[in-house]
Amino acid sequence: MGRSDIGAATQRTPTTTRSNPARLATADAVLPPGEAALPRPPRPGLEARRWNKRSRRDALVFVAFAAPNVLLILLFTYRPLITNIYYSTLDWTLGAASATSVGLGNYVEFFDSPDASAVLGVTAIFTVTTVGGAMALGLLVALTLNQRLKGRTFARAVVFAPYVLSGVGVGLVWLFIFDPTYGVLSWMLRGIGQLSPQWVNDPKLALVMVILVYIWKNLGYCAVVYLAGLQSVPPQLLEAASLDGASSARRFVSIVVPLLSPTTFFLLITTLLSSLQAFDIIRIMTPSGNGTSTLIFDSYLQAFGSYNRAGYSAAISVVLFLALLIMTAVQLRFVERKVHYS
Amino acid sequence: MSAPLSRKSFLTLTGASLGAAALAACAGPSTSGGGTTDKSTSIDWSKIKPAATISFMSSHPGKSRETELKLIEAFHAANPDITVNLITGGSNYEEVAQKFQTAQAGTEVPDVVVASDVWWFRYAVSGTVLALDELLNAVGVSTSDYAPGLISDYEYNNKQWAVPYARSTPLFYFNKDHFKAAGVPERAPATWSEFSEWAPKIKAAQNSASGYQNAYQYPAIAGYAGWTLQNVLWGMGGSWSKEWEITADAAASVSAMQWVQDSIVKDGWAGVSSKNAITDLQAGAVSATISSSADLTATLKAAKEANMRIGVGFLPGGPVSASPVCPTGGSGLVVASKTAPERQLAAAKFVTFVTNAQSAATLSAATGYMPVAKDADISAIVAQTPEFATVVDQLKVTRTQDFAKTFLPGGDQELAKAATKIMNEKAEVKATLSDLRAALETIYTKDVKPKLKS
Repeated sequence: MGRSDIGAATQRTPTTTRSNPARLATADAVLPPGEAALPRPPRPGLEARRWNKRSRRDALVFVAFAAPNVLLILLFTYRPLITNIYYSTLDWTLGAASATSVGLGNYVEFFDSPDASAVLGVTAIFTVTTVGGAMALGLLVALTLNQRLKGRTFARAVVFAPYVLSGVGVGLVWLFIFDPTYGVLSWMLRGIGQLSPQWVNDPKLALVMVILVYIWKNLGYCAVVYLAGLQSVPPQLLEAASLDGASSARRFVSIVVPLLSPTTFFLLITTLLSSLQAFDIIRIMTPSGNGTSTLIFDSYLQAFGSYNRAGYSAAISVVLFLALLIMTAVQLRFVERKVHYS
Repeated sequence: MSAPLSRKSFLTLTGASLGAAALAACAGPSTSGGGTTDKSTSIDWSKIKPAATISFMSSHPGKSRETELKLIEAFHAANPDITVNLITGGSNYEEVAQKFQTAQAGTEVPDVVVASDVWWFRYAVSGTVLALDELLNAVGVSTSDYAPGLISDYEYNNKQWAVPYARSTPLFYFNKDHFKAAGVPERAPATWSEFSEWAPKIKAAQNSASGYQNAYQYPAIAGYAGWTLQNVLWGMGGSWSKEWEITADAAASVSAMQWVQDSIVKDGWAGVSSKNAITDLQAGAVSATISSSADLTATLKAAKEANMRIGVGFLPGGPVSASPVCPTGGSGLVVASKTAPERQLAAAKFVTFVTNAQSAATLSAATGYMPVAKDADISAIVAQTPEFATVVDQLKVTRTQDFAKTFLPGGDQELAKAATKIMNEKAEVKATLSDLRAALETIYTKDVKPKLKS
């Protein structure tokens, strides 16, 4: 944030309005937020000195409030990020006191190995299906819960509950459900004379299993956010449309969906980021990553799952970071253009 | 909100943030070469006074937390000047290893750590644990006090790196009622070919039972495949490796793994456990399995409560080798090298105490682990649990595990990946094992060979 922004912020604080209330009120009323940051003309004499003193003090207050946060972000986000990039250039066994520098060797090895295509493929499948699944089902649930139904509040609470549960607990319970020997699912299948599929042992089914559980857990989040979006759709627009003879499908496609686009955009960014970083359910349900090694889980397995290759693992983390960075940038640059903010 | 922040509190805040910065600056690796130094060589242990407090990080193998607390209590009674804090490092050896290794980046590491057959060697090579020879001397314990086959597992570079603690072998567990119903002898099969004759009969006899799956259940691949499949490989003349030479795709190894695949896919009398083969056996879903002797006491107790007759026996042999075809497993105790000599000496006292004859008998009785001390009196245990005699007898016919399984970082993972492909995905055996050999050889050349001391 530049100095001019600080000035803009201080203009709206009650203490500064005393110096020239009329003028500030006009400035605020006329200028949109972005332009309020224009530099102000210098003031003559005593008033200016007082202003400068006040301004300095306010700037200090700003620094005092912002600095701890900035420091914490530098310390706990950027410092590990940069250290991690450095580690990714090392051939380092986890826990060892020394390491050798290999430059981009870890990256070359990752992209050369058959693991890369497998891991990137699993990551893509997991991300697309969980984001798409949770958003589509979330919208359906939100549309249902937006109706005047009996027990609606209870149903909303039930839908949202899994989202606040611990992923470890959810994973363990679902493992019991899927267990082919003593799981609930296998018991139900036995009832119709079938043996349970090998959910854990078959890598393809294992991926299906974690995707299902992940969608189940995160559906509530999408549903609640969509519900909020739906409730801000102005009813008069829908009424006007139905007076004009628009069918309910038409009203949904032409009015509700465009008005929900900021919500959809927000959900797309947040669920994409969280899906790419999904860890707890995968770790608990498939501890050795059999068919479920996403980028983040493979990074974990390489360092902590008996390979102990901390440098290689750091390189995979950097690949994940770059993927997240590029995707977020693309979304902000291109997808947001298609979003209608009413 | 507009109240100004005083200069003093601003400085305090800034100071606190900078303090946090310093705190977070924990050490990464050094790239200046050199590597590890063996600290134990230059210390005169007779002049060191043991520390007052040390920590013991364990996964409580074989559900042994209560027993470990009892052993610590006994240690406190014998050594009133030393306090031992038991730390739960996770639910299995891998989780403990994870904590111990990440702790190396900070300043505080646990003093005594449980280390499985795959971990002690990596610690020794990376220098995070101490060679114990001089420490054992200092506390008046000799390696000859331990069961010879078990203590020698922890030798590398002419040094002793751990002492045996919760050591196990796999056992053949079977449902006696299922065997009886099929009209086959109520004992463990002597060879796998004998069992493959029994298996179809056992499965046929249970076919109408609801939820019944297979005559034999291979243990869950993660964590068990590399270990227990050595039994089939060795019996048929194969192995994962011979010393550092990878033999996973040698003809005998390929035919052994082909036999495993056939038992599941072609002959259809075997399956693979998703999580815990012993639980599958207890649920009556399978008639036999292989699991650690650490499960013995708990399994027999549960079976008794459920009115189920479970028997145990030696691992079956094969056409090439009938014996020894049984690997040992489980864990030993290591002493961290990063702590002060005072703590290391106290750690040595503790390590030798919990593995002495009396402690070993206590742990064996509570779990089913083998008695690691040579003079451990197990007559009371055998009187109470006659099946325990099988554990002790089988110890005499064990074989050292293949290096590929124990000494290669990630070797166990690679073996599990290959086993998954062969056993769950019907992959072509020879090609899968050739890929496995390539992967293991890469690990050896890249991660192990450069670090081995000649």
